[in-house]
Amino acid sequence: MKKLLKSRWFIALIVLLVVAACAILSLLPGSPVKKILKPVQLVSSPAQSVVKRAGDTLSDFWSAITDGIAIRKENEALKAQIADLRYQLTQNEEAALRYEELKDALHIKDMFSNYDIYGASILSRESDEWFSTIRLNAGTTDGIVLEEGNSYPVLDVEMNLVGRVIETSDTESRVLPLLHEGFAVAGKVNVVNGATFMVIGDAELKRHGLCLVKDIDPDVHLEPGMEIVTSGDGGLFPEGIPIGVIESVDYSNSLNVTATLKPYSQIGRLEDVFIMIPYVEAAPDGSDAGQGT
Amino acid sequence: MRLINENTRSRVRKVVVYAVYIILLSSLQVSFPEAFGFLGQTADLMFVFVVLAGYFYGFWDGAVVGFISGLVRDVFSPPAVVGLDGEVRVTAFMGVFTLFTVGIIGASFFTRRMHRNIPFSIVAVIFATVCYKTAGYLLIYGWSNLAGAESSLYMPLTFLVYSFLPQLLLNVIAAIPLIFLLKFLGPVSFRNKSRDDEVIAKQGEGTWLGI
Repeated sequence: MKKLLKSRWFIALIVLLVVAACAILSLLPGSPVKKILKPVQLVSSPAQSVVKRAGDTLSDFWSAITDGIAIRKENEALKAQIADLRYQLTQNEEAALRYEELKDALHIKDMFSNYDIYGASILSRESDEWFSTIRLNAGTTDGIVLEEGNSYPVLDVEMNLVGRVIETSDTESRVLPLLHEGFAVAGKVNVVNGATFMVIGDAELKRHGLCLVKDIDPDVHLEPGMEIVTSGDGGLFPEGIPIGVIESVDYSNSLNVTATLKPYSQIGRLEDVFIMIPYVEAAPDGSDAGQGT
Repeated sequence: MRLINENTRSRVRKVVVYAVYIILLSSLQVSFPEAFGFLGQTADLMFVFVVLAGYFYGFWDGAVVGFISGLVRDVFSPPAVVGLDGEVRVTAFMGVFTLFTVGIIGASFFTRRMHRNIPFSIVAVIFATVCYKTAGYLLIYGWSNLAGAESSLYMPLTFLVYSFLPQLLLNVIAAIPLIFLLKFLGPVSFRNKSRDDEVIAKQGEGTWLGI
């Protein structure tokens, strides 16, 4: 028995069994097992930030050298564009005033007016095809409080869908990216009363940077180039967030029409994102009235 | 008179060197994955490092480095799994499970017969990658069927061409600089003329239990 207890294979087997048990337990809602990783996070996160900053600085320095000529040309083009935009701005200011007047008169609501927008930076990306969640530097202390079964949309700077927050800790959040096999969102063609369907991540399409569109009504005519936005069905995502454009449509099986979608957001190039959180309006009696939609 | 003896110094060196490499490699991998990517796959620096640490410096080095690298991986980029209820959840300890096992595989792959020679370490990396990708695929295949998540499934041929082979190639390429780092700037001084097996027998295997 003593010999067995001292055997390295026996020790390794026990460790593996304990780790496997912890991995299974971590899948349970509200599992405290993940708290074991907190000390590791406290040590490794600042160290990773230092390495990332150093890498970014080096990359910026290299870009500054190599992109000098291109930047000069771009600067000239931008100056011309600024002049053009200034003219448009003066035109739009007047239009905006009129819109505000009409908005009040017609009780129009802004699409995302019931959402608070929180900015966050991407700390780390996937380490391989299976370890593929994204880490953001905003957590519960920043107001990103996530309840079990809930989720928040994550958008890029152009307000295109990037993914959704699936877990938060004190200082960090984890995002399930749009291309992940577990991702699903109800989408629709970006026209009035556009057809609705499901946009999901797919293992095979992921390597091409595409999503799968399924549950398409056979009578609906989809075409490559059509813009797809969130439909608002299901309640997790508000209506109207741009997802991407249809890349191809497969009508070969009329009972199972599918399409591929090219997302607008390029996760590999993103540095900063926004988290949309529906804000809770306080009811007149002081209790929460529920989440806005 | 020396303040710390030879054995303590080698232990401190081992801990410091491994800590620096684990943090540096894991940070590089998750901060700039596109720099190590090809055909949608990313060179798994942590994975290769763990295999090589086990191969060159023994069972306990592989196990301990694998365990700690796994913890870091679980913090930086844990996998999200579709549960049986259809909800997607972030799991913990899958990184520990994977890298701990891989460290042991690296340490047990003909290390004594081949005297931990440098060329054969590439074969150890290939073998560990084959084990990882095959086991991962079978696990995902089984789990996806169980959870009814069809979109998680690769066809075997697609998996071979677009996942397995690029990952194998990238890991082998990543192994070359890591071998040199471990041998010449590693946990054991390269001035130490003892053979690797002798170094492990002298201070490698028992060091971690001593700490």
